[in-house]
Amino acid sequence: MSELPVEDLLRELAPQVLGALVRRYGHFDTAEDAVQEALIAATDRWPRDGVPESPRRWLITVASRRLTDLLRHEQARMRREDRVARWALPEQWRAPAADQPPADADDTLILLFLCCHPALSPASQIALTLRAVGGLSTAEVARAFLVPEATMTRRISRGKQRIRDTGLRFAPPTGAERVDQLAAVLHVLYLIFTEGYARTAGPGLLRADLSAEAIRLARLMHRLLPEDAEVTGLLALMLLTDARAPARIGPHGELVPMAEQDRGRWRAEQIAEGVALITAALPGGVVGAYQVQAAIAAVHDEAPRAQDTDWAQITALYEVLLGICDNPVVALNHAVAVAMSRGASAGLALLAGLAGDVRLADDPRLPAARAHLWEMVGERDAAREAYRMAAARSTNLAQQRYLNARADRLAAGDGSR
Amino acid sequence: MKYMILLFGSQQDYDVLSGRATDRPAMSAEQVAAMHTHMETVHQALAESGELVDARGLSAPAHARRVQVRAGAPVVTDGPYPETQEVLAGYTIVECASFDRATEIAAGLVDPDAPGGYVDVRPVLDGVEDLAG
Repeated sequence: MSELPVEDLLRELAPQVLGALVRRYGHFDTAEDAVQEALIAATDRWPRDGVPESPRRWLITVASRRLTDLLRHEQARMRREDRVARWALPEQWRAPAADQPPADADDTLILLFLCCHPALSPASQIALTLRAVGGLSTAEVARAFLVPEATMTRRISRGKQRIRDTGLRFAPPTGAERVDQLAAVLHVLYLIFTEGYARTAGPGLLRADLSAEAIRLARLMHRLLPEDAEVTGLLALMLLTDARAPARIGPHGELVPMAEQDRGRWRAEQIAEGVALITAALPGGVVGAYQVQAAIAAVHDEAPRAQDTDWAQITALYEVLLGICDNPVVALNHAVAVAMSRGASAGLALLAGLAGDVRLADDPRLPAARAHLWEMVGERDAAREAYRMAAARSTNLAQQRYLNARADRLAAGDGSR
Repeated sequence: MKYMILLFGSQQDYDVLSGRATDRPAMSAEQVAAMHTHMETVHQALAESGELVDARGLSAPAHARRVQVRAGAPVVTDGPYPETQEVLAGYTIVECASFDRATEIAAGLVDPDAPGGYVDVRPVLDGVEDLAG
């Protein structure tokens, strides 16, 4: 048996097993450790001894046993510390059987809500989601974020501590709480995706693993909540953005802007899936920010050549997005779309209005956008200086090198562009 | 025992790395890629041998802030270093058997193409008790 299927199976089962354990015994934090150990045991034994008949039951049995050990150990420690220990051990307390056993799907969803709870810091939300729902080991999460394992261990335990201290329950949120918490889950998945897509530090620009993991989790969400248009929108946005990844990085790790990408290298199947998803979601009523962003990505992806891009439609979509969220980066992208659809001067006028926005004060994107538009209207000196300023503000090496190369092209007196 | 290997660079070094010529020409994409491959290989080997504790690069000196306190109020200077001043550019912390082993690791982090290039190795103290002796 090859390794991949076992690993895939384990990662799919991980949240179900954890959900079953927590539902039965409580103790989210300890149960989560127990499930991790059961997963490690399975990784070790299944490829050797074969996959058990019911992998899920095997994992639950091993994890329950481990949970009992861990809780006993913890109780003994507390007794030694002369504190009252009244925890129920798994064999002493069984939750009464409900009329209908809760579906695994519900458990996975509740886990996502718990791991992404707004009471947790974003760093803990991400780490905990990848471990408890994604089934990744601490070492794997640490490697994805390029931090030492000890740092990631701390982030995970801080998250669990917060869940315990806040008294968060393993139950689905309702009403207004649910709306907020669903938004939080989507935001965490989006952060994982963007972290993979454009890493903020370090040499390279793509971390395919995190993007792929974010897409996997978004697919899972979409399966659990097929009627939720924003969930669909987020999945479509990820697919449509990630479809361009193969063309986004040049042979030496340099950034290739969308207008210059080899569109033949875009992933056509992923584009088709993303377009189908967003097309189905959009007529569904209230339009959310992820859906609009997915629609914009779809318009880009559907243009056979850069010059075929329907900028008028993109401009209109950014206007919808501006109505939903007050975000200076959205305003900036809108200005660029206006420049492409109505002329560079119109775009520059909008960008001038953003110059005073403190949220963009240290951001390389404003000078970079102005540089592009000045270049379009032939203001070469101003464009060159703006490219340099953007490069100086950026801390991303690939971005810096791209911006400096644009500046050099103008300095060399090459009038071709 | 832990050792910190300190790497140095000036704003000019950062500029040529980011594709901007100074007195020296900008580094080519191939040179940058080769440098990253080398650093990745070294650190991958350290991770596999279990000697790597942490490794980080710092952003360009132009992004640094110097903070002083005068008359009880903080006084902040942005980008306090001259263009050519060598400042801390990154570090690699290793936990290994001996100072000699740390020195050996450090030699792999010296840029062979930079004339006079160097790194420093400093033993890391574990806590205040080390200072007390």
